Amino acid sequence: MTPKLEVRQLSKRFGDLEALQGIDIAIEEGAFIAIVGPSGCGKTTFLRIVAGLTDASEGEVRLDGKRVEKPGADRGFVFQSDNLLPWRTVLANAMIGPEVSGRAGAKERQRTLDLLRLVGLAGFEHYHPRQLSGGMRQRVNLARALAVDPTVLLMDEPFSALDAQTREIMQTELLRIWEKGRKTALFVTHQIDEAVFLADRVLVFARRPGRLQDVVEIDLPRPRRLEMKRTPEFVRTVDRIWRLIEDDVRASVMQGEE
Amino acid sequence: MVVKTHDAETKRGPGRSDAVLRALWGLGRTRLRGTVSILAGLLLWELLSRYLVANALFLAAPSQIVGALVHLSATGELGHHIAISAAEFALGYVLACILGIALGLFMAESEAVKQSLQPWVSGFYATPIIALAPLFILWCGIGIWSKVLVVVSLVLFPVCINTEAGLRTTSERLIEMLRSFGASRAQIFWKVSLPSAMPFILAGLKLGIGRGLIGVVVAELFGSRAGLGQLISQSADSFNMPDLFAAVIVLAVAGIVMTAGFGWIERRLVPWTRD
Repeated sequence: MTPKLEVRQLSKRFGDLEALQGIDIAIEEGAFIAIVGPSGCGKTTFLRIVAGLTDASEGEVRLDGKRVEKPGADRGFVFQSDNLLPWRTVLANAMIGPEVSGRAGAKERQRTLDLLRLVGLAGFEHYHPRQLSGGMRQRVNLARALAVDPTVLLMDEPFSALDAQTREIMQTELLRIWEKGRKTALFVTHQIDEAVFLADRVLVFARRPGRLQDVVEIDLPRPRRLEMKRTPEFVRTVDRIWRLIEDDVRASVMQGEE
Repeated sequence: MVVKTHDAETKRGPGRSDAVLRALWGLGRTRLRGTVSILAGLLLWELLSRYLVANALFLAAPSQIVGALVHLSATGELGHHIAISAAEFALGYVLACILGIALGLFMAESEAVKQSLQPWVSGFYATPIIALAPLFILWCGIGIWSKVLVVVSLVLFPVCINTEAGLRTTSERLIEMLRSFGASRAQIFWKVSLPSAMPFILAGLKLGIGRGLIGVVVAELFGSRAGLGQLISQSADSFNMPDLFAAVIVLAVAGIVMTAGFGWIERRLVPWTRD
């Protein structure tokens, strides 16, 4: 069986800086993959290359066997900042994807309304972004990515701007929504517990040059609940990943890098 | 239980109407101060011109100005002057807005166009072009077209500069969001760049109103057959202060009404900039 997403010898250079070096991964359909690593390990760059927003210097990304060259509706991107258009309502914001691909008919509208209900925004369809809280705005961000019915969901630290409690709620909400469709998901984060809680597999990136250091399988049962974060097994897994990247994180902090 | 509910309601009832009353009182008071201030100013003006200056050559009292407004309206003279000035303003303003927005678009779209035009646009924006009015009258005569030209030259540059700035400052992140869905350049322009530049463009158009009005009047002062500026200069020549002030009042009202109208348009068109 061909994997859903295949990355071969992927490298990216920004001038002299080697952001990514020789990444090789195969991801099967329906897997939830989290990517963690210290600042500057190229995890976001990796996600952007898969999205087609950034070009690779070498190597390639294949989605369903086809080479990725530019952005497309087969991938939904959830941004770190919500990037909502302030002049559009929640519904109109979520519809932008279908609109861009020229398929904004009654069927897509209904689908988007259902999605907004799924992410917990029923009754807010005609609100404007400025009337929503940060958590609600990220829900719109997620619904917008899902509205194009992508086969792969790409998420770039979508909860990093939220407070700790909202963040935990959003993690369980994301899993609840993901369970409904089980789309292949790539989730970039710098929080290890978030990665372990969400993913089937955690890709651990290292820096200088940015590369894939280790792959950690997460065997926690699904559906997962917040209580799971206090189980010994969960804590042990988080600790194991932390020890993998600890030196790297320390180095990046000491060098005063973001 | 029933008594309790009733009690709670009677307690809440007056509380709510109190709040409404307080809000109304607050609003009334803010309006009240402004109104009282205007009325007091008019009264002071009236008294000053009647008893202190008491010379119709230097200052007209508000009551005399109202008289002049009524008289000039009755003879149809005022309507004629207003019509001429309004036509000059409207023609020049609309032309300048179309040209200014178009120019701003080109400058935002192409770095080469921007680099070649920027010095001219900035230069003309900073120059008191109004000083060229006599030259424009030499070129185009004392009819309306010389005034239209003055208005265009005054309104064009702020509109152009704001349009370009608005488009240039479009959030990169919003553009990228649209790009992630595979949007074309045209789609990015219509769905993100243009709406996000709207507040800037409207601000430029608003700035143009004041400049345009000045342009009309000053150009008419330099030489014209009719218009509010001509009414002002002719009244000044014959020491007719009430007529002069009448023309000034009409101009002030026009400026206030147009600016307020713009505020209304802004609230409807770009409500997200309110807070």
